Amino acid sequence: MTRTLRLGAAFAAGLGLLTTLIWGVSGQGYFWPRWVWMGVAIPVGLAGAVAWARQQRAGRRRRLAVHGAISAVISLLEVVIWLLSGLGWFWPIFPIAGLAALFGVHAWVLTRLPPERERELLQRVDVLSRSRSGALDIQAAELRRIERDLHDGAQARMVSLAMSLGLAARLVKTDPDAAANLLDEARASTVSALDELRDVVHGIHPPVLADRGLAGAVEALALDVAVPVTVTADIPGSLPAPVESALYFATAECLANVVKHSGASRASVDLAYRDGRVVVVIGDNGAGGARLDGGGGTGLAGIVRRLEAFDGTVALSSPAGGPTTVTMEVPCALSSPKTSPSSATD
Amino acid sequence: MRVVIAEDLALLRDGLTRLLQASDIEVVAAVADPTAFAAALREHQPVDLAIVDVRMPPTFTTEGLTAAIEARASTPGLPVLVLSQYVERLYARELMSSGDGGIGYLLKDRVADIDAFLDAVHRVAAGGTVLDPKVVSGLLSHAERSAPIARLTAREREALGLMAEGMSNAAIATAMVVTDKAVGKHISNIFMKLDLPDVPDHNRRVLAVLKYLQESDTG
Repeated sequence: MTRTLRLGAAFAAGLGLLTTLIWGVSGQGYFWPRWVWMGVAIPVGLAGAVAWARQQRAGRRRRLAVHGAISAVISLLEVVIWLLSGLGWFWPIFPIAGLAALFGVHAWVLTRLPPERERELLQRVDVLSRSRSGALDIQAAELRRIERDLHDGAQARMVSLAMSLGLAARLVKTDPDAAANLLDEARASTVSALDELRDVVHGIHPPVLADRGLAGAVEALALDVAVPVTVTADIPGSLPAPVESALYFATAECLANVVKHSGASRASVDLAYRDGRVVVVIGDNGAGGARLDGGGGTGLAGIVRRLEAFDGTVALSSPAGGPTTVTMEVPCALSSPKTSPSSATD
Repeated sequence: MRVVIAEDLALLRDGLTRLLQASDIEVVAAVADPTAFAAALREHQPVDLAIVDVRMPPTFTTEGLTAAIEARASTPGLPVLVLSQYVERLYARELMSSGDGGIGYLLKDRVADIDAFLDAVHRVAAGGTVLDPKVVSGLLSHAERSAPIARLTAREREALGLMAEGMSNAAIATAMVVTDKAVGKHISNIFMKLDLPDVPDHNRRVLAVLKYLQESDTG
């Protein structure tokens, strides 16, 4: 670009010099080559200005810079014509003012009205950074919880177990009764430790989810809930494991809400896959009045954040007096169909 | 012996209390957080030993460690035995730097071997240094790479490791299956090779272990 520009400028200067020379040789008189100079300066000036403006980053700012550069060259040109044509009334003020006004409008539009596409992208970036930090927060909190559960639960039980066994070993000869009591305590400690380990494992990844997938795991979940839950499932394949896990814990949270807050006598979970989205609908016939913003400590806001990480959405319909429906949708692809058929249980 | 216990989990607090009492050690206070610990230390002077859990409220990170170090700052020479469910060399070093002698740092698992645990309790109370074998073995594997430690022979390094676990010369001799005299020779070689100042033997042992901790960390 700059090389062509330099060549062009050299050619223009050569042409100007040549005509000036001809003027000199041909007896001088009216200095007409000024118009030639001006004629060759216009394209060179325009090319130079545009080349400068194009150094800006591509996009709307660069277009504004090109606009400005061209306007500046035209304004300069008019001033030059005014100079060359004998300095009358300063008429270039009008075109220059017009160009400046146009440029101003362009700049204003640029700063005030980001175009549709850009606005969409900004929103998307916003959603992505929010969901990503949400996902990271949730993950870090989960890891902390698991560590704490192990530390205060199973690990502590094991230490206590070790102490009981150690004491029992010391007492077995001198005080067999006390030793027997300690051994009983130790056995109880082992049972508690196993219970706690099972809870921790379940909190990380429920074994039934690994064995049976989302539909099976939700059916298993439904059996443990205090109100009768109808489960229907129509998912012709298996979901990606992270989506499955997120939806499982979200469903568990919703069913816990049904028991804790709604006062419902029945609930239902419907799992389906439609148009590239897995859709989970949890309904109950309770009192309603649930809110997505976490009012009443329902943990729905947590579900929203959890599913946002997968571009999922949560819709809530919960008029006062009920019924309440939570609809969770997550876009995802299905892998090959499962061998075990999906089913419906009550 | 008068002992203060600081441990937030009731299960383990009671277990420790029972274990110590069964061995005729007087537990003058068993508390659950650093504030109560500091108060108990003031109230029950003289205290022969403080047994402190690393993780305590309010943040459940290393409050216990901080409390132990602070207790040693306000009561110089207070023997402290720190218990934890995992051991970090970094914490061992911080504890060792908090003053001479009377320092123990053990995994909670060690309470299973009650005799060994009680032995550690008595040695720390008597001003000894007892580091968990897990800390020491971590050091041994790193020691090869650090300069002054690398000057030690394999046997001398082994003796240093046992010294860090708090063993006496006689115990080291038994563990290494050599005579007391040979152990004495190893240990004076260690002091010489680590350029330790000529101070009473007990303090030199602490310094050797401390040097060990620091060197291995940069290795």
